[in-house]
Parts: sequence; structure tokens; C-alpha cells
Amino acid sequence: MTAGRYRRLAEPLRWALLGLAVLVLVVFLVAQRQQGIDVSYGRSPASTAGVDTDGTGTSDRATVPSVDEMTALVAAAPVVRLPGSVAYWNEQRVREVAGDTRILVAPPGLDKDERERVRDVENATIRVIGTEVSGGFYQASSDRLPAWRAQFATGDVTDLLIALITTLRKESTPADRDELRWREPSGPELNTVLTDLRATGRHIAPGATLTDVPETAARNAFPDGAWYVALPVQRYGEPLPRYGPALSARFPDQPIVVMYGLWIEYHGPGAADFAELAGASFYGQFANLLSRTDYPQRNVLGVYLDRVTDIRYAGLFERPLPYRPADPLRVALPALPWLFAGCVAAFMVLSARSLRRPEGRPGSRRDTAPTRLAGLTALAVEVSLLTDARSNPALTRGIVKLQAARSAWEEKLPARHVRTLLDEAAAELDDTARQVGIASYRPDNYLRGRLS
Amino acid sequence: MADPSLFWLAGAVLLVTAGVATSLLPHRRAHAEQRRTAWSAARAAIDSAAVSRDAAPGRVPEAERLLTRAESLAGRRGGVDAARAAAEHARQADRLWREHR
Repeated sequence: MTAGRYRRLAEPLRWALLGLAVLVLVVFLVAQRQQGIDVSYGRSPASTAGVDTDGTGTSDRATVPSVDEMTALVAAAPVVRLPGSVAYWNEQRVREVAGDTRILVAPPGLDKDERERVRDVENATIRVIGTEVSGGFYQASSDRLPAWRAQFATGDVTDLLIALITTLRKESTPADRDELRWREPSGPELNTVLTDLRATGRHIAPGATLTDVPETAARNAFPDGAWYVALPVQRYGEPLPRYGPALSARFPDQPIVVMYGLWIEYHGPGAADFAELAGASFYGQFANLLSRTDYPQRNVLGVYLDRVTDIRYAGLFERPLPYRPADPLRVALPALPWLFAGCVAAFMVLSARSLRRPEGRPGSRRDTAPTRLAGLTALAVEVSLLTDARSNPALTRGIVKLQAARSAWEEKLPARHVRTLLDEAAAELDDTARQVGIASYRPDNYLRGRLS
Repeated sequence: MADPSLFWLAGAVLLVTAGVATSLLPHRRAHAEQRRTAWSAARAAIDSAAVSRDAAPGRVPEAERLLTRAESLAGRRGGVDAARAAAEHARQADRLWREHR
């Protein structure tokens, strides 16, 4: 009874296991295709791409005159400012060290050929492309936040020029001087900014090149949202409105990102922890690139936000990581091969079971063939004493059929076949008995008599 | 573990082997049994016909021809169809001899 139920269950179970194995295999293969090569814990979701160079925003690309024209211009005046130039400097401080230095100032955003052309102007001692200052074999670069701030917020290249000129003249370089001045924003200014921030979370001043804040980068960097204030490059020599501290004083829990041109500042919670690090690592890597190009603020802000995200994820300052739910597939992946192996093994075992030669067909309790065979054989022997020439053939045919039945039974041929042969033998013996004329030798009667 | 892909490949090969074996082997076994059964029946019929021939009072050419064909089929040991044909011939021959007397 239980064995029967077990056998009935085994077959569907076998196919269910096969289906499961195939499913696991498919899941594994699909996961293989999706799975990247590197697996790391708590990886920052920030994009690792550099500054997005697409849509640089300037519809009219800056150009420069030909090399001959520029050479003539430089020969005519010690300082030549080409149209679109953005670099400024403290002329008095530069004049003190300059001597007969000739300076060619070109706009930012030149392509490679045009930069080559500017470099080919041989009578210019110093070339300023955007705010990138170079001359001879040297290129001046800042390495401190105040210097980068002056360079990117106002286009101030005084310290770079002085450093490069004194280096070229093999003189000692005077210490940098931070000439940037701040002012408190006026009440109406602050109100305008606050109105915008309350409404949309961002304030874009006229002239700023920020179109919108990069969504993903902003969400990764500041999951709780941040305010963005974008101002254009400030006029050199004028004090900068100090929006960051002013806004932070009113909303201490609100992260605030303030952009002056390409200079990005962070104010708000955790500023002491990472604002300087983010700024230093960002401008340390990108200052050279940013100084000679004119990317819109959006592209630069995106990279800055990625850097902030990286710092958050580095866990340097014990800032809590944003919760990332475990991917069930990734968790299950190591178990899949074992699951698959288990399914295969179980399927193999059940298959082997079903392959085993089914027992108990001949020779089982229900198999009446041996009894019948013995009875009919005994009947044939008994009746053979009484037969004559007329009834002999039937008896012989009966014996032939009995022999066939016996060998079929011994060969374990299907019971139905054995029964058919026995039936035929019984029919022949029945003929014999009728010909002999003894009713008790008819197989039915004889066998009943034997059994009782 | 060596190469995970080997692991999966081996599993897949095992699965396919098991599937083929479990579907093919019982089929072949049933086929062989059917064949042996058919020949068993055919041989019984031929032997029975031979007995009838020996008991028959005269010659029956038609029956002899049928039995010869059945015996030659049996000698060649064909498949199930040949066995069924041989059995049918032998039964016919048997009937002819029995009716002859």
C-alpha cells in the first residue's frame, strides 16, 4: 500500500526535480550574463567618468587669430588680451616682478589646434589660456584651496603669474597672497535666493551656466536632498557674497552647495568633516582641466557630487551608508550549484529506480500460471494412457502448447502470453477428453477436482 | 572546486544521460519482450501445425507451402511483424490439416 503510493509519488517528483534543475540552470546562466566581473563591498554608486564633455554649452566656440597676427599683437603691447579672455590679475603686483615679460591671454575652451597656435606665438613669454598659465617649459598650478577658489571663482591668476615669472627669471618666488574678499549678502539678495530655494531647492543666478542638477549624482551624494546656489563667475576685484554661511546660519540642518563659476563650496551638516577633503581632491585632480576649458557648471557639479559620494562610501568619517537592500539573486547565487547538483542526484536516483526491472510479475502471489501448468501437465499424463490414434493429435498439440507455455513462463514473458498458451493447451486437452469420452478429464472439471 | 562551468556542464550531461536512459531503456526492453513473445507464440503455432501435419491422413500442398514459409520466416529470425506473419501462416496451415481428414 505505502509502496504503491510511494511509486505513484516518485514519478511526478522526478519530473518536478528535472524542471527545478533546468530552472536553476537557466537562472544561473542568466545571472552569469548579468554579473559583472568585480564584486566589492559597499562600492560607491558614483559614476567614475570624468567631466562630461558633451554639451559644453558654449554655442559660439572661442577662437584665436592666426599665429602671425598674434605675434604682431604681442610685439605691439606687453599684455595682449584676446576676445573672450577670463583671466585677471593684480597688475601692480605682477608689474613689480614682470620686467619685460610679454603676456598673451587667450579665452578658455580652445580646441587642441588652437592651443597649439597660441603656444606657437614665440615672442609671448607667458601664455594664459582660460586661467591656465604656462611659459617656456613650465606650467604654473595651484595646490591650495584659496588659490583654486580665487582662480575659479573670479579668474584670478596673480599668484600663478608671479610664480611662473619668478621661476623663469630664476628669482625667489614671493609667498602667495589670498586677495579674495567676501561680503555679507544684502537682505534683498538673500531673500531672492531663499525664495527660489524654498520653491525648487535651487537658485540659479542670471549668467550662471547651471541648467539643472544631475539627478542621480545629487541623490547619491545627498540622499536627504540639498540646496544648490549657482552664481556666475564673479568680477575680479569685487567682494564675493558669502551665501554659504549666511544660509547655513538660518538652516543649520540643510546641506547647501554654492557655486561661484566653477568654484564649488559645501556648507551645512558635516562640512567640517568632508568639505575640504572633497574640494581638495576634486580640484587637485581636475584643476588643470577646468582651467583651460569652459565646461558648463552642470557638468562640473556632477563630477563634484560623484566625488562627495565616493568620500561618503569610503566611510572615512563614519557617515552611515545608505541602506542597500540585499539582492536575493546575488545571495542565492552561491547555493545554486548545490541546489542543481541535488536536483540532478535526486533525478538520477529516481530514474535508476524506474529503470530497475519491475519485480513480481511472473511468480507473484497472483500468478496462477505455475499451478495451472502443473495441473494441465498432470492431466495430459493421465489422459495419455487412454488415447487412441484419433485423439492422439489433439493430445500431442496440447502437450506442445504446454511446453511452449512452460518455456515462456521460464523466460519471464508477459503473464498474458503464458495464459493464452495455457488456454490453447487447455482447449486441445478439452478436445482430447471429449474424444476419449470421459467428462472428468475435461480440464475445467479436472482442475476443479484437483484444487478441492 | 575547479571550474564552476565544468560543474554545470557535468550536471547537464548527467541530466541528459539520465533522461535518455530512462526513456530509451524501458522502450527497448519492452520492444525486445514483445519480440520474444511474438516468436514464442509463432513457435508454438508452428509446432502445433507440425503435429497436425503428422496426424493428417494425406498431403495438403497448400498447408505444406504455408508451413514452409512460416518455418523459413522463423529461420531468418526477423522482428515482431515477421513473427506475427509466421504465426498466422502456421495457424492457417494447422487449420487446413485439421479440416482435411
